[in-house]
Amino acid sequence: MRRHAVLWSVVVLAVAMLVPFLIVVLNAVKTPEEYATGGPLRLPEGVSLEGVVAFWDRVDFGEKLLNSAIISGSVAVLAVVVSVCNAYALGIGRVRGRTWVLVVFLTANTLPQEALVYPLYYLADAVGLYDTKLAVIIVFTAIQSAFGTYLLTSTLSGFPRELLDAARIDGASKWQALVRVVVPISRPTLGVLFVFFFIWTWNEFFLPLVLLISNENQTVPVALGVLQGQRLMDATMTSASALLGVVPAIAFFLLFQRALTRGITAGAVKS
Amino acid sequence: MRAVRERGSYLLYLLPGALLVLAVILVPFGMNVGISFTEWSGVGEPEWTGLDNYGRLLSDWTFWASFRNNLALVVAMAILPTLAGLVVAAALVDHIGKHFGSRHAAVLRACIYLPQVLPIAVAGIVWGWILAPQDGALNEALGALGLDTVARNWLGDPDLALWSLMGVLLWMQLGYPVVIFMAGMSRLDPALHEAAELDGASWWGRFRHVTVPGLRPEIFVVLLTCTIAALKVFAPIYVLTRGGPGGATNVPAYFSFQNFFERTRVGYGAAIATVLAVLVLVLTAVFLRVQQRGER
Amino acid sequence: MPKRLFAAIVAVLLVVAGCGGSDGASDNTFKLWHFEGPDSAMGVAWAEAIKQFEASHPGVKVVFEEKGFEQIQKTGPLVLNSKDAPDLMEYPKGNATAGLLSKQGLLTDLTDEVAKRGWDKKLGPGIDTTARYDERGVMGSGKWFGIPNYAEFITVYYNKDMFDRQGLALPTTLDELTAAMDKFVAAGITPLATAGQEYPAQQVLYQLALTKADRGWVDRYQRYTGDVDFHDTAWTYGATTFADWVRKGYVSRDSAGLKAEDMGLAFMQGKSPIMVSGTWWYGRVRAQVKDFQWVSARWPGMTAGSSGNMWVVPKGAKNKQFAHDFIEITLSPAVQDKLRDAGGVAVAPGASPAADPAIRQLNDDYRALRDADQLAFYPDWPVPGYYDVQVSAVQKLITGGADPRQALDELAGPYREHLASIGK
Repeated sequence: MRRHAVLWSVVVLAVAMLVPFLIVVLNAVKTPEEYATGGPLRLPEGVSLEGVVAFWDRVDFGEKLLNSAIISGSVAVLAVVVSVCNAYALGIGRVRGRTWVLVVFLTANTLPQEALVYPLYYLADAVGLYDTKLAVIIVFTAIQSAFGTYLLTSTLSGFPRELLDAARIDGASKWQALVRVVVPISRPTLGVLFVFFFIWTWNEFFLPLVLLISNENQTVPVALGVLQGQRLMDATMTSASALLGVVPAIAFFLLFQRALTRGITAGAVKS
Repeated sequence: MRAVRERGSYLLYLLPGALLVLAVILVPFGMNVGISFTEWSGVGEPEWTGLDNYGRLLSDWTFWASFRNNLALVVAMAILPTLAGLVVAAALVDHIGKHFGSRHAAVLRACIYLPQVLPIAVAGIVWGWILAPQDGALNEALGALGLDTVARNWLGDPDLALWSLMGVLLWMQLGYPVVIFMAGMSRLDPALHEAAELDGASWWGRFRHVTVPGLRPEIFVVLLTCTIAALKVFAPIYVLTRGGPGGATNVPAYFSFQNFFERTRVGYGAAIATVLAVLVLVLTAVFLRVQQRGER
Repeated sequence: MPKRLFAAIVAVLLVVAGCGGSDGASDNTFKLWHFEGPDSAMGVAWAEAIKQFEASHPGVKVVFEEKGFEQIQKTGPLVLNSKDAPDLMEYPKGNATAGLLSKQGLLTDLTDEVAKRGWDKKLGPGIDTTARYDERGVMGSGKWFGIPNYAEFITVYYNKDMFDRQGLALPTTLDELTAAMDKFVAAGITPLATAGQEYPAQQVLYQLALTKADRGWVDRYQRYTGDVDFHDTAWTYGATTFADWVRKGYVSRDSAGLKAEDMGLAFMQGKSPIMVSGTWWYGRVRAQVKDFQWVSARWPGMTAGSSGNMWVVPKGAKNKQFAHDFIEITLSPAVQDKLRDAGGVAVAPGASPAADPAIRQLNDDYRALRDADQLAFYPDWPVPGYYDVQVSAVQKLITGGADPRQALDELAGPYREHLASIGK
């Protein structure tokens, strides 16, 4: 009985978390007229994909998807690599002054993005990277890897020394120890980081808005902004676009769910 | 001697990360600090004004009021999600995972994590619909339950707007600690749990004495990153209330944004951002110190 | 695993490198940006203009990009300051936007082109206020930095069916309007749809103040031509009357937290019979209201309104000639008539009136306002970032967090501060 009580309360919570998504779907399949006369919460009379199709054509959504995938994918891979290297030096190498190094890395996460916008714009423009995907990839690799460094350092500092010693006795260099011992054992944690980085970068809005000005470079969230007019918005098309915008991120999340299940287990290896 | 050289060569692994942080964070931040000593509209020559912006900031009531609101958001984005996340993660792993299978647990976790995936601009619109005073989903639902008297103008009432905002932020944030804690719990040694169970410890007792201490590193990570996120929170304010009604939900990050992009007082915005960043940095340093002491 | 990982990295980097730096600007492209939806009056008319441009400029490739308003508004100065500026773009008008850009030297001076092509005559007097900026970036005099292509103003939308049901005639004076709203309140209907979280409520307050104002008052407030007293008759009347309207239930207290979209829906769903808002709603109301009869009517007296957003030519534009030619086309009677017939307000229409009587009425209203010199711009224009100040002060009036005097004081502070910094 009590078991079921716990199950049901979590199910209720989960459903409550999903309500806003249902409302998005509800409005995505309405016609603008239905929305105007019935408001956002009335059930639609039928399913109309008008908004979805119109939005796709209007912003060339396929191109935006590709841009977002390139940027998020590159950032996720690069940031994981950089995080691993950093955490290897800080958590396992225990270089001197690592607390302060860590503080400096975390700065990347702590600074409000608004503070970085003007400087990043001028720097990017100076080196010819303004309005290129590469600029955004570099920026977010730095920001995400700072978080990754922090998380990984704290798990790697508990990494079983015996394994590293064993590798060293076998004559492995530091690089080989990293690639053959640390990375495979930390894989679940790296998986979590990869998923987080991808999703976080996917949803970033502000810096891409400023740094990617031409349509051919824009990401999905920036494209959603096209629908917010100066004084009007198009609610059904916005919902449709939201649906198009979250589906890839959700798909990605579900695809890599298992990476999360295995979790942060680097320290749990029993020798 | 040998140990020193050992450590030295580890430094090489820091190089790529260090360069990135230098180019993307430290140099721009230095520029931002420089801008904060000027009056500037974002393009053209900045005019040096020394400490004027900071002097102004000290006596800017809006700025200090925005900090007070920010503390409330730390509760909503860091403290509550951490507490709730622990309970939910434990319920999912210890109860549902064990008695109903890990597949159920994974599906439920996915549902709870999904708000993190929704683009914030969309979340803003949808929550606007839910919390709308007339015909909003929440008020309609309350009406259907016969609780008409509880229905409120959730985002438009200055006494309530901050609370409503906190609720939305909790919704947004909860999935992140749940995922991290569940991952962390798989690291814990099940033997400890079993031993405690054999000793007759209640679920609550095991939760308090086994799970929570075991998750210490994750709790630190979650608390720190969420607190940082809360201190620099901007987008949810921007899409839901724009700091209103009447400044009731203004926060420093939004206030600096207003100065950067709406009032084009970039120097003043930079000063606000600098103060905010320094504050967050100090807090981070203190936090890390405490954490490392705990690890030793 | 590591091998696969590295293969992935290499692959990604190659893709990225392949996508970087795409600069296809040649002598024969015309790069155009605007942020109007394809179904809006402007979107329709300008699509036609692009067609005509392509016909009259064979061999020139038009690269049109639809932008988000927010992107243009937030990043305009940064784009214009970079090497990637378009040849022509739509930009918001006013001191805080186009004025600021002109002061920063980011816009091309169009004065010679205006004289040569006679655009000033086409546009007529009055409308040019928002197109010209002096060296302080203040509108109303100096060089031409933008060319308006349409106009907009605040109008009153009435749900005629709801008025009929109450046995009410459509009001023509403020007194009649008030009397009608009393009757709706008595019938349990909130008469005026508005929204405090965005522009609508502040514009209602401004409209009320304008009933006691004249051109000199507007110029002092908007163009800094003299002292502004926020406790003069007009402002005091505006704020106290607005507070009265809230107290009497003409405006719902709930509206403090509503957005413009909510206001529009309340009117279009027939929940409130009156909406005081801009002509930018016209096309949408026309397309989406099917269940009742509605009309738009002039607000009595001075009215918030101005030219619409303008064409500006960035300083760094590569093909300014094309930009000028395109502006010329958008001012031609054919394109202007297209804009008008799609529900917009044309600034330089052809000789024949619109076929649709409602649209003819809308455009006549504009012409009457312009000819009587009664366009009063918008309340948030004088100070950069004033929008949020206005929102906050009016929200407090709605929630009762401030009395009219306090609300006006809140407006006065930033205004004075900005005044002190002008021309620096």
